[in-house]
Amino acid sequence: MSTGSRGISRRAFLRSLICGAGGVAAATLLNGCKPAGGAQGGSTEAAVPTKVGAPAEAGTGGITLRLWSHSNPAFVKANEAAIQKWLEQRPEVQIKYEYFPYDEFIQTIQTSMAAKNEADIIEMFGSWVQSYAKGGTLSVAPDDIMSLAEARQLFYAAPLDGYVWEGKLYGFPNEYNLENGGVLVNKRMFEEAALAYPPEWESWEELVTDAKKLTRFDGETMTVAGFHYVTGDGLGFLFWEGILERGGDYFADDRVHLNLLTPQAEATTEWLVGMAQKDRVVDPMTFNPESNWVGDSFFQGLVAIGYIGPWIVPVARENHPDFADPWNYVSCPYYGEKMSFAADSGWGKVVSPNSKGIREAWEFAKFATADAANARAWNVGTGTVPALKSVAEDPTLLNDLDWLGPSLKVLPYGRYVGMLQDRDFVWYNVVATHLVEALQGQISVKEALNKMHEEANAMIDSKIG
Amino acid sequence: MDTVQQISPALRRRARSGLRPFVVRALVYLLLTAGCVVTLVPFLWMLGTSLKSSTEIIRLPPTLIPEQPTLQSFRTIFEDPRVPLERFFLNSTAVSVSVVALVLFTSSLAGFVFAKYQFFGKDLLFTLILATMMIPFQVTMIPMYLILVRLHLTDSLWGLVVPGATSAFGIFLMKQFIEGIPAELIDAARIDGASEFGIYTRIVLPQMGPALATLGIFQFMGTWNDYLWPLIVITTTERRTLPIMLTWYNSQHGARHDLSMAAATLVILPILIVYFLFQRWIVQGITLTGFK
Amino acid sequence: MPALRARGRLLRSQHRFAAVSLTPIMLYMMGFTLLPMVWAVVITLFRYSPTREGVFLGLGGGNPFVGLRNYLDIFSSSINGQLFRLSLKNTFIFALLVLPLNLAITLPLAVLIETVHHRLKTVFRTIYFLPTVTSLVAVSLVWGVIYNPTFGLLNLALRAVGLKGMPWLSDPKTTVLGIPLPMICLIVTYVWQDMGYNLVIFIAGLQGIPEVFHEAARVDGANSWQRFWHITVPLLRSTLTFVIVMTMLSSWQVFVIFYVMTRGGPGNLTRTLVLHIYETAFRHQEMGLAATVAMALFAIIMLTTLLQMRLLRREWEY
Repeated sequence: MSTGSRGISRRAFLRSLICGAGGVAAATLLNGCKPAGGAQGGSTEAAVPTKVGAPAEAGTGGITLRLWSHSNPAFVKANEAAIQKWLEQRPEVQIKYEYFPYDEFIQTIQTSMAAKNEADIIEMFGSWVQSYAKGGTLSVAPDDIMSLAEARQLFYAAPLDGYVWEGKLYGFPNEYNLENGGVLVNKRMFEEAALAYPPEWESWEELVTDAKKLTRFDGETMTVAGFHYVTGDGLGFLFWEGILERGGDYFADDRVHLNLLTPQAEATTEWLVGMAQKDRVVDPMTFNPESNWVGDSFFQGLVAIGYIGPWIVPVARENHPDFADPWNYVSCPYYGEKMSFAADSGWGKVVSPNSKGIREAWEFAKFATADAANARAWNVGTGTVPALKSVAEDPTLLNDLDWLGPSLKVLPYGRYVGMLQDRDFVWYNVVATHLVEALQGQISVKEALNKMHEEANAMIDSKIG
Repeated sequence: MDTVQQISPALRRRARSGLRPFVVRALVYLLLTAGCVVTLVPFLWMLGTSLKSSTEIIRLPPTLIPEQPTLQSFRTIFEDPRVPLERFFLNSTAVSVSVVALVLFTSSLAGFVFAKYQFFGKDLLFTLILATMMIPFQVTMIPMYLILVRLHLTDSLWGLVVPGATSAFGIFLMKQFIEGIPAELIDAARIDGASEFGIYTRIVLPQMGPALATLGIFQFMGTWNDYLWPLIVITTTERRTLPIMLTWYNSQHGARHDLSMAAATLVILPILIVYFLFQRWIVQGITLTGFK
Repeated sequence: MPALRARGRLLRSQHRFAAVSLTPIMLYMMGFTLLPMVWAVVITLFRYSPTREGVFLGLGGGNPFVGLRNYLDIFSSSINGQLFRLSLKNTFIFALLVLPLNLAITLPLAVLIETVHHRLKTVFRTIYFLPTVTSLVAVSLVWGVIYNPTFGLLNLALRAVGLKGMPWLSDPKTTVLGIPLPMICLIVTYVWQDMGYNLVIFIAGLQGIPEVFHEAARVDGANSWQRFWHITVPLLRSTLTFVIVMTMLSSWQVFVIFYVMTRGGPGNLTRTLVLHIYETAFRHQEMGLAATVAMALFAIIMLTTLLQMRLLRREWEY
């Protein structure tokens, strides 16, 4: 073996590798310096930093706006289609679109708002909007774009109320966000268990009776969950709905703090815990927000009845293209005489006050949400419940979204969940976290309620303090 | 057969002396090989999962080895217009190479000055540098981010390069090495009329090959694998680095294990290549420096 | 003094070079270490979020001065206090378990590897070091899939031998010696990823032990176990100290595997200090509070480092 020549050739190879890498590095960094073609540049200038939020003026009167959303593939496609249509009418206002996974999306919004380089238009979740509006990081809709009175005519109150803070309008909703009123059902499993399909339940008891027959075990291990409702979003929706339908309220008398130490809250929690522990329709150890999330496990054939909003359908079709079982989205029961639930205000468009094209940004926001045809296309693409009344009330909508019927039926019974200061904290860190603990039998119902009550109110105190 | 031939002479001596040492030997090899299997299995599982088809991936019970290996998942990632993979790759390379170049330059220069020059306050300054090594990044990341906001360097690759341009550890390491360079060599150059900077470039740097390589490789791997800082600083898709792309892709296709494992494979591969190329220096570097 | 013997002109040019090259580097370094450190301390005295307007450097105005309230908060019974102590506890559990586990594997492994032929030694060392160089994010994703209750390798293996599968990362009830199962899983992943580093240091340390010591002991009739305890371990003492401290330091700062694999769940059982700092600062925008928690982390790291210095000094006295 001529180790000498091997050494040299190896060294030469390494050297060329290093040179090549250096060249690539220089080119990439330098490329980042100049406003790159098409893309919005200017932020990587080291010596003379330019303001990142400033859209590059392209030619006479031309402007480029940035749009951010989260990265649900169906939402991305729907927004891309809206941009396409916008460009046909307004070619002078370019839109550069970027999207992020949910967790990173929230962090990105916050860090970029601190740097004032957030996108001109952000597809924000309605139940976050009030918190940002309160912090002064959103722009108010100009009256001649849309007044609050006009908006009340056009949109359902439940989604719109999330976009209103102190009498001012901070954006327009695309979606009425609810998981109440509908569940996914697996036809094969119903037939194998010799149950009526599609099911028509009159009460929760009937659903649970079916669910027990659908649950499958392998020894002690649950292989199929009869009714899987142990999700980060779902538990919140069921909890609020249960309280409201039992005649209670989760807000305290000051309408700012929460009161979860009510008999109604306790009864609701007992009921949620009972389904897991007494009826054993779901094993919250294996089926929970972290493992076997309902949005995946239903479409992997591990769940017979799944509690989740209709928006999951396009996502599941993308993520689980090979799921062969036939399924439907059917109405699910409610407690008591009349349905009454709290909805999240849904996804919609808000505008940055740092935008160099606030006017154009608002025009796009309106174009994407308040124009019936565009709004409908967006809802059809994302499988979401329309926030725009005219779209939801159009009977032909069901031709495009045949699974949406159960959700549309319950819309009149919903109201906006209210200003929770930090919606995700209340929903996930407080309510879902402690309900899951109670469902798993780690803490009692009373302990869960005490923890939820204390932690939610402590957060609220810190935000209003 | 190979193993028998490769057993050390001392061992062969002992192996001949009785059965028990031989059994012990065999056990040792068995144990070490078992350890290797444990080390390698996650990599193999990753590769195997990435080669499964989208139907095989949801089959129950799961298959151990892909029955019909396919590159489908890799193709999906490469063809996804939302994942400009080559862009992420370029960004990671650009940031890592720039940081490495800057750290090597600043560390060797400062190390040279600390090693070979006398000036007032030198010990104090050096202690200060050592003290900064105790400050973990997680403690300063919040103000660091606020500083970048003020410098308008957030959402920019510069935001990843600028804070990493110096390294207290690098200076420390370089000083230790340069102290080993004989003073006569430097004095001789001075008598020949070399400038001080000339001494640095023509006398010191050429002697520093192994030390620079070690520092460079570790800085490269550290920057390449960095996750938390780019997660905070970068927002625009085109400016992301590979590790960010990984979780970004994963949470979009949380349940698509084939895709996320294919993405993981794509990220791990380049660093493995670097590792195998520079292996000797890496191991040497650790033993010399204890650097991580 | 050599400097005094040098001629004035030369000395001046040397001084000039030292000043010109060192000053910018030092200023730069301090700008990105000491300045942020000072700023971090200042922020702990405010209720601070950069999204709110301040009076001076973002402080005051919308970000009011709160004195020591953030410090009191993390030691109070409030949710912030509870979460802080919980993440502190989790981080301690993690670090204190990782250390013995790591040492118990890497030191014997290094001794074993040391005994094999040098060609094979390189092969083993290369393989064992492999996980250490790979991206931690990728490693976390891979192990996440391995632990997956339905499609994961671990449960597949357990079921193959007739055992029951487990929801490894989401089971809040099962504990091993009082440690929650998800934490155990993360520790295993971390040790798997991290051990190659210590292994290589130990191998280097072992190579530094002169063979004569072992030969002498062998002549005295010591068996291999006695030789390990009475020769190898004492002579490796400085290496051991170094390894212990470095392992501790890096496990205090653990973030990625927790962020990617559990996000602190189930029910905050795997929330660590850095994860808590990150979420508080960048998700909930309570940067004053987050900086305060970071100070606690700083204190722990200072203590660990001081301990190292104390131990090493004793080392030198021998």
